[in-house]
Amino acid sequence: MSKRHLLALFTDFDAAEKVVTELRNLGIKGFNAEKDMIVKSPIEHPEVEEFLGDRPVRVQWFTLFGAVGMGALMFLLISAAQGNFFAQMKGGKPIVPFPPNFVLTYEMFILGGVYITVLGFLICAGLPARRSPLYSAKVSEDQIGILVQADESASGTLKSIFTKHQALEIQEEAGK
Amino acid sequence: MSISTLFENYSEFRHFHPVDDMPHNPYKWAMAIDLDACSGCNACSVACYAENNLPVVGREKFAHGQAMHWMRIERYWDEDGRDFPDQGARYLPMMCQQCEAAPCETVCPVGATNHTPDGVNSQIYNRCIGSRYCSANCPYKVRYFNWYDYPTTDNVWPAEMNMQLNPDVTVRGKGVMEKCTFCIQRFKVAENDAKTQGRLVRDGDVQTACQQACPTNAITFGNLVDPESRVHKQWQAQQVDLAKDAQVKDQEEGGNGLRGYRIYEQLRPYPSVMYMERVRESAI
Amino acid sequence: MKDIREDIAWAQINKDVLKSLENPRKLYWVILFVAIAMVGVAAGCEIYQYNTGLGVGNFDNPHVWGLYIASFIFWIGMSHSGTLLSAILHLMHADWRKPIYRFAEAMTTFSLMTAGLFVAVHLGRVWQVYFAIPYPNMRQVWPNFQSPLLWDAMAIFTYLSSSILFLYVGMIPDLAICRDNMNPGWRRKLYTALALGWEGTDRQWRNFRMTYLTIACFLIPLAVSVHSIVASDFAMSQQPGWHITSFPPYFVAGALYSGCAAIITLFVILRYVFKFEEYMTLPILKKIVRLTFAISMVWTYLNLVEYATVWYGHDMAAKHLLIEKATGTYAPFWWMMNFCGSVVPFIMFFKRFQTNIPVLFSVSLLLNLGMWLERWMIVAPTFADGYYPWTWDHDQWPSLVQWGIVFGSFGWFTMLFMIFCKIFPSVSMYEVKEMVYHRSQATKKLEATGKFAAAGKGAH
Repeated sequence: MSKRHLLALFTDFDAAEKVVTELRNLGIKGFNAEKDMIVKSPIEHPEVEEFLGDRPVRVQWFTLFGAVGMGALMFLLISAAQGNFFAQMKGGKPIVPFPPNFVLTYEMFILGGVYITVLGFLICAGLPARRSPLYSAKVSEDQIGILVQADESASGTLKSIFTKHQALEIQEEAGK
Repeated sequence: MSISTLFENYSEFRHFHPVDDMPHNPYKWAMAIDLDACSGCNACSVACYAENNLPVVGREKFAHGQAMHWMRIERYWDEDGRDFPDQGARYLPMMCQQCEAAPCETVCPVGATNHTPDGVNSQIYNRCIGSRYCSANCPYKVRYFNWYDYPTTDNVWPAEMNMQLNPDVTVRGKGVMEKCTFCIQRFKVAENDAKTQGRLVRDGDVQTACQQACPTNAITFGNLVDPESRVHKQWQAQQVDLAKDAQVKDQEEGGNGLRGYRIYEQLRPYPSVMYMERVRESAI
Repeated sequence: MKDIREDIAWAQINKDVLKSLENPRKLYWVILFVAIAMVGVAAGCEIYQYNTGLGVGNFDNPHVWGLYIASFIFWIGMSHSGTLLSAILHLMHADWRKPIYRFAEAMTTFSLMTAGLFVAVHLGRVWQVYFAIPYPNMRQVWPNFQSPLLWDAMAIFTYLSSSILFLYVGMIPDLAICRDNMNPGWRRKLYTALALGWEGTDRQWRNFRMTYLTIACFLIPLAVSVHSIVASDFAMSQQPGWHITSFPPYFVAGALYSGCAAIITLFVILRYVFKFEEYMTLPILKKIVRLTFAISMVWTYLNLVEYATVWYGHDMAAKHLLIEKATGTYAPFWWMMNFCGSVVPFIMFFKRFQTNIPVLFSVSLLLNLGMWLERWMIVAPTFADGYYPWTWDHDQWPSLVQWGIVFGSFGWFTMLFMIFCKIFPSVSMYEVKEMVYHRSQATKKLEATGKFAAAGKGAH
């Protein structure tokens, strides 16, 4: 009853969509369409998301907190720095002037936003990722891959579904 | 680094300058220069060289505009088609005006130039990284940059001349901006001596080098907030107010017969040097 | 003609771009070695200047700034092209940017690095440049946050690091392609490490798209603010010819202008050297040329606004300066700047020249010459004819040391850029695939509904 991986490659998104729909509707024993299936493609495609269903993207929360937080923090830090110790007049301006502090706050707001967004991206997308047990270079070239993880008993059913939809190649993980 | 310092002193930190509600206390160093007395002899300039270890750059670099004269005598002529064009120059001794709202202070990226509580513009050689923005922003162009490493250059202070170098003043290496300091090494000593004696500096206790050397006493230097000082009396007599960008006396109809003015007052740097115009023959 | 052939096989796209990494034309090596030689010239000049002092640059009082600041601003300006293409055109769904934005972004990164060099060359005591970094220290001495030069430091740091991150993140799918297709060796190891295990899963793509969009939204205000802050170096001072409120938008317009002209230059070079004729097509070139023309008119307008406001105002110092710019010692350069910036772009107005590669190459170089002169003409005349009459008594011209370093900076930029193009794909493979895919889908839909129009008009 161990889980084994299968990788099927298809020539376009339509074929992949049909396979995914069928896998969902059939309810195969030993295979959970939500958790055990990953679709890989060489380009992003909003239609993939449509047929896979809505999954939330949390990157923007990172951005919000990172940007606003960084901006506020920098304003306080800069103002505090100006007020400490060598609080000397410069050009008749106040020790804690607002225009320069706002300029720097704005820049740091953007800095924080970008850095935290990248961090959020890495976290949400799970990068750096451990490589899948099955992978084909064709996925990065021009074919759509569907990687499934299922019990050995279900692999026969899965393979027949793949072949029915003209899978260009089916890879199977070697027995353990 | 405490944010509490920020909140405690908030109103003080938000204060602009100069304004009359927070006058200098107890010192505000200022100068007055009487152009009628100035003969253009350059003694002040030479004294400044001697006092502040200024390098002598040589004829070629001088002509090139790389001279280091913190105090310079400018000469202006009228182009009125006279027979001898070189005759009748008017002299202007120009040095750092120690502006109260100095345009140079705001723009230094590392904060090497600031305004001291006793009213002069400080230049911190150790902090300067040589971006030269301060000089770019100075309306008077009285800031001088060390384009070369003068202490290691030949013939800057030839043998025996090096014996007259002033030990109270640092020697600047290349890449550092410098300018007139109102002889800070002298008035700081005077302030400290006065403090240990429990008094304030009296007028005449300290002189700048240029003031000391001037044969006609054209330069007056002292504490502007000391009502007994000569410089205060001169500013008062000329009705020039430190914290104004346009003097009240200049608004009067038909002129006011007073000679005192500050250069580029309308740019609002609030300079601390008052010049008294030369009495012209046409005015008598 | 279509922006790109809609029947290019995706496998072909991979092959063409990957081939460019290993097999460029011979001209690539010529360019690279010339660039390295130019860097050598600059390095020699800088070593001399570092040891002797900035006086060898022929600076004096009051001419304390010169070609270093002018070139600094020029290079920061050139960096705006990448942001324009990647971020602004992305938000506008202009997909014709897809084959060209990768090298434009690389251009941004390396322009910023070149600009950083000029900071080092310009400072009198560059070994203490770390004073400008706000690090906690025992003496509690902080940099002066009021200084526009410090805002520059922070803004450019933000822009450089954000650009590098944006370039890198946008390249991850391409790095995966490289990883999958390169022969084993240092390349395979590099790409494997940098691709972070990207496999094109749905989760990765969803987050990727959101991230790209978010960073693009941040980069646009950042780019505008960075060059506005650089403009503040001048606008926040009091000097005549600098204290002009229209400087921030004027500089941003000049930056976009400069960047677009550089894109045309690099487009022509890369198209030939890396054999990218299928991807960097003439219709796309035409679009960039038109965009450059539009920006040139914006810049011309802001330039004329500056002259008009000075001419009609009562600021005598500024008026005197403007007249000196047109008739004084710098007059030939000032007039050349106006000619290159406002008259030469009209060549791009004519359809005949919009796809003529030799003409456009020369025009783009002239435009950038005009933009470089513009920066110099902002810096130098204000010192020569500023407020203080005592300073008007002598002319100042930059020395060969200054010229040598400016000359070498172009070599530095070219060297970095060429090395980049040899290691990383300079055309974005996955985005070109998307472009081909979406356009062929759109054409199919049009054909299906019978509304097919002759000679498909570009972006949908």
